[in-house]
Amino acid sequence: MMVSLTQMVPACLAIGVAAGVVMHRSDYCLTATFRDVFLFRNWFMIRMLVLLMVASMGLFEVGRRLGWFAFYPFPLLGGGSLSGLVGGTVFGVGMVLAGGCVVGTLYKAGAGSLVSVLAFAGLIAGSAFYAEFHPSWKSFADATSFPKGNVTLPQLFGIDPAVMVAAIAIPSAVLLYRWGRDGKLVRSSQARGYVQPWKAALILALLGFFSCVAVGMPIGITTSYAKISGYVESTFFQDHFDSLAFFKGMPLDLDVPSSGLELHGGPAPVLDSIAAIQFPLVLGIVLGSAFSAISLREWRVHLKIPPVQLAMALAGGILMALGSRMSAGCNVWHLMGGLPIFALQSFMFLAGLIPGTWLGGRLLVKLLK
Amino acid sequence: MNGTGPFDIAELDLRGHVCPSTLLLSLRRINVMKEELRAGTARLEILTDNRDSTGTLSDAAGSMGYGVKVEKEKGHYRVIVGRID
Repeated sequence: MMVSLTQMVPACLAIGVAAGVVMHRSDYCLTATFRDVFLFRNWFMIRMLVLLMVASMGLFEVGRRLGWFAFYPFPLLGGGSLSGLVGGTVFGVGMVLAGGCVVGTLYKAGAGSLVSVLAFAGLIAGSAFYAEFHPSWKSFADATSFPKGNVTLPQLFGIDPAVMVAAIAIPSAVLLYRWGRDGKLVRSSQARGYVQPWKAALILALLGFFSCVAVGMPIGITTSYAKISGYVESTFFQDHFDSLAFFKGMPLDLDVPSSGLELHGGPAPVLDSIAAIQFPLVLGIVLGSAFSAISLREWRVHLKIPPVQLAMALAGGILMALGSRMSAGCNVWHLMGGLPIFALQSFMFLAGLIPGTWLGGRLLVKLLK
Repeated sequence: MNGTGPFDIAELDLRGHVCPSTLLLSLRRINVMKEELRAGTARLEILTDNRDSTGTLSDAAGSMGYGVKVEKEKGHYRVIVGRID
């Protein structure tokens, strides 16, 4: 079912625009999922995450059984490793400080947020920092990986993924029904053009599914940030850039026999399959959000921001980039792509993300005066 | 505070702030002003461009027993906490 390489650009741009519009309208912030539990004892976004994951789980299983995915498990997902745990923790601290995750940063920047633009700059800088210690981190990741050759829990236990999907989705559906009945899936808002987050969660699950059908993998964007850092570094520090193994890696290296496609790509600053998939997604989210904000007459840039918040956003962006590279993916990749197919790597990321978010929340409260 | 009306109006401009600064800083200010807000001698007006805050802030202040009103202004929202006339 995969589209050709030239069709990937408009397909990903369309997915990005749709995600940008819906995230801006609903202010759907994945960062708030765990952060608001720790800071405000508010579980609303946890319920939205359950809905998003159960919907994704069901859609991915349908796609798998119908043979609509070129790859299953999805490419670039690996087995568990302590690197995912540590990376998730670093990422969690970063996203709370930055006020949004890698995708939240994009939709907020699209709506004119200066702190999110700074977080974006931090994401680029952090990707460059990671390149400095990539070989030693990769050794650590390989040394602590488990179990060899298994990417998902169903693979590990030797069971059909449908069994695990049913075991989780059916009780979750009952829970969601009760939440819906008790009015716990809607929140009050007086924002113009507001889209309820439960609708956004279902739309995002659908967009993740479309991404898997069209380009063979879930929504992910952080390798494109590494690419941008590679462009910058190769332009200004060519000799040093040439010495960095990180930019020579090719994590995506697959042939698709059914369509004759070849997918090759990595953090190198070249136009490869990763660039064809992720750059249009990034651009689409920014454009979609900007369109939404302009259409609501809410697009504004505010410059009177406390310096400590500007510093937090920059530092948060750097930490998010480090965390996503250390754990081979960001929260969107793991929560919307890996966890719904029970990827071990994504469970490790989640196990690190939760304490990282708690720590980030503690720092945030101390820094916000 | 400005003595511009029958009661004092404190304005808190949180436009452009990192999320969830709007809710955290607003709740802190509400706590500082709680006596005047409860007595109806002052009200707090928060300017925010954070769409989520129109709900979360209203819910939080409302659950504390304060009157809340949200007004859409040019490019942002004004969340009024305290005596609503």
